[in-house]
Amino acid sequence: MLKKLMFAAVAFSFAFSGSAVRAQEAGALLDLLVRKKVISDQEAEEVRVELSKEAASTAAGKWKLSTPINEIELYGDVRLRYEYRGGRTASDDFTNPNDWQERHRQRYRLRLGLRGTLADDWFFGVQLETNTNPRSTNVTFGADANANGPFAKNDDGIFVGRAYLGYKGFPDFTFTGGKMANPLVTTSMVWDDDINPEGLAEQWKHTFTLNFGGGGGGAAQSYSKGGYGKESKAVVAEAEPFKLKIDVFANFAQFVYDDTNPENPIGPSPTGVPTTDAFMLAWQVGTRVTFPNGVYFQLAPTVYNYTGNGDGFFGPFVGDTTDDNNIGINSLLVFDMPMEVGWKLWELPMRIFSDFATNFDADDRAEAAGHPGGGGQRYAWILGLGVGQLKAKKDWEIRAWWQHTEQFSLDPNLVDSDIFDSRVNIQGVAVKAGYMLADAISLNLTYSYGWRTNGNYGTGGVGDIGINPVDQYQLFQADMNVKF
Amino acid sequence: MKIKYLAISLALVTASMSSANADRLVIKGSDTLGAKLVPQLAEQFKAQHPGTTFDIAAEGSTTGIAAIIDGTAQIGMSSRRAKSSEVGAAASKGKHMKPTVVAYDGIAVIVNSANPIKGLTKKQVEQIFTGDVTDWSAVGGSGGKISIYTRNTSSGTYSDFKELAMKKRDYAGGSQKMAGNEQIAAEVGKNPNGIGYVGMAYTKAGGVKALPIDGVTPSSKTVQGHSYSYWRPTFYYTNGDPSGLAKDFVDFTIGPAGQRTVAQVGFVPIK
Repeated sequence: MLKKLMFAAVAFSFAFSGSAVRAQEAGALLDLLVRKKVISDQEAEEVRVELSKEAASTAAGKWKLSTPINEIELYGDVRLRYEYRGGRTASDDFTNPNDWQERHRQRYRLRLGLRGTLADDWFFGVQLETNTNPRSTNVTFGADANANGPFAKNDDGIFVGRAYLGYKGFPDFTFTGGKMANPLVTTSMVWDDDINPEGLAEQWKHTFTLNFGGGGGGAAQSYSKGGYGKESKAVVAEAEPFKLKIDVFANFAQFVYDDTNPENPIGPSPTGVPTTDAFMLAWQVGTRVTFPNGVYFQLAPTVYNYTGNGDGFFGPFVGDTTDDNNIGINSLLVFDMPMEVGWKLWELPMRIFSDFATNFDADDRAEAAGHPGGGGQRYAWILGLGVGQLKAKKDWEIRAWWQHTEQFSLDPNLVDSDIFDSRVNIQGVAVKAGYMLADAISLNLTYSYGWRTNGNYGTGGVGDIGINPVDQYQLFQADMNVKF
Repeated sequence: MKIKYLAISLALVTASMSSANADRLVIKGSDTLGAKLVPQLAEQFKAQHPGTTFDIAAEGSTTGIAAIIDGTAQIGMSSRRAKSSEVGAAASKGKHMKPTVVAYDGIAVIVNSANPIKGLTKKQVEQIFTGDVTDWSAVGGSGGKISIYTRNTSSGTYSDFKELAMKKRDYAGGSQKMAGNEQIAAEVGKNPNGIGYVGMAYTKAGGVKALPIDGVTPSSKTVQGHSYSYWRPTFYYTNGDPSGLAKDFVDFTIGPAGQRTVAQVGFVPIK
């Protein structure tokens, strides 16, 4: 009778606790009952078997995870999109001046991932995505209709978007290797946020908390470990209830930009340049200072450098017409400084964000492109205002910004693929608005309008609009997102 | 007539086989239990039950639990609890894993008898065996690089110690894996900087001493009372409540005579 009562009590606690920990909790409870001599070891073991039997019959009990996994999370999102994208030829185009090339597309995307922590401070992640394009996970409805009839599946593939592992065993440090979420604080002007770079990243972050007590007492410093978001960015999402918090961080990355194969060919190099792998190196330091009442300031100056040639991006970049080299990574030594200031106005989150970039090697890049003296086209910047946030049901957000890029300022292979069609030498305005229909479902509208920054150059880069230069550009997207 | 004799002969042979099976006990599982304890219990049991035969296969706890699930043994020996997946697999085949605690096993942390250290905390044990601490001076010793001796990876004790003492973390990279308790005790006895873990029966080996953990010395009393941290129950598993010969043997094991043998072999009696 006592055993049955114990079983009922333990089973009750078992049923009403979280599935991940309930077996442990039940085991701890049984151990306590044994120690208190309420039940015997034999009775406890019989109850354990009953609980194991119950657990094994539940849906959660049928999932088997390998022993080294401490925690695992399934996540992902599905998005439906309507998109209009148009680009106009230049007025001096020989054959079709001032003509618009336009696309209307209905698209979807799926991203599905697993990430988890392992024993001894290791972690890992895998993410599957639709589309092979590094800057897009979209699949266009009907785009493959001619291949195998309507609703064909030729372009509905699943690809590995992320596969990484890392170590967080040293206080303040995170080391990651593989195909990972971008570890750098940045903006869409420099990095399309769909890109998952490949290589190594080392991150360090330390938090100082300063409490200025009443009566003018001295500042007290405390220490907190961690604080990186799930995407491993050194960004703290929310201000904590303290007087002053200072996050200091440094992010370093060594990305394998382009593998050369073979490094040592028979005979001379087929590309005419030394056959070496191309690497992108990034050095970033930064700080985020959080004041009371949700006011914060963040700054993350960064330098990007490129080494080696690769066999696909060895340049030289020209970018004036579609027939030119639009992807070369020669002469890029980019300094980038994203910045953000946030505050709350009547509990409404607001922020001003900006980014400034300049290419120190723009003179050489311009000269290689056939524009000696064009090195002044080295700057890129954005300045924007954001109001609101998208976190829970009925939340809303509007962001608007001005973006300006010059022809030799940035790596055109990395810039956002939507706002200005993966191109540089475009400037204009962009607006994004979102509303949360439910905690996991949002509606988003995006509009951008841009034109050539400098009419003496093309709009370098390879986008969805198949013309260069793109003299004017428009984008409209309407999205429904389900995030889980 | 010939057919009649043949039928009678077949009936006799069948009856004879049935009789033999009725007195035969198949026990499979843990090598910890099956190496010495259960064979000795079997000999004593046979002395009280002439005609009984035993078929004992000590190939690891997993094989004992699997034998109950598959119905190829009447008793499955195990030095660990059945996993929920195993209990679930048994249920799906209409079997009920019934555990009977037959003995406790205390795992003692031993060092060389020349080592001046008087005891360790659980945290220190974890730090030493995971490699967080590599020098004796960090845990109150007189200095010197710590040499770690563990069982090999196929041993149930290897994984049990990880769970009991190391929060399931990995052993330190330089730890040396030994085949059994005797080898660990022998190596620690020769190495002034050595540390290892053995069953309580092996703490009397020459040149070693068992350390108190959090101030509690491993002994029958502290293991029975569960005040010593590194203890584990050992089991017989049966399909539901045991019956017939299996019940007799289980009762014998947990009875006074069986528990005396448990103590003699180096385990800790349940009472």
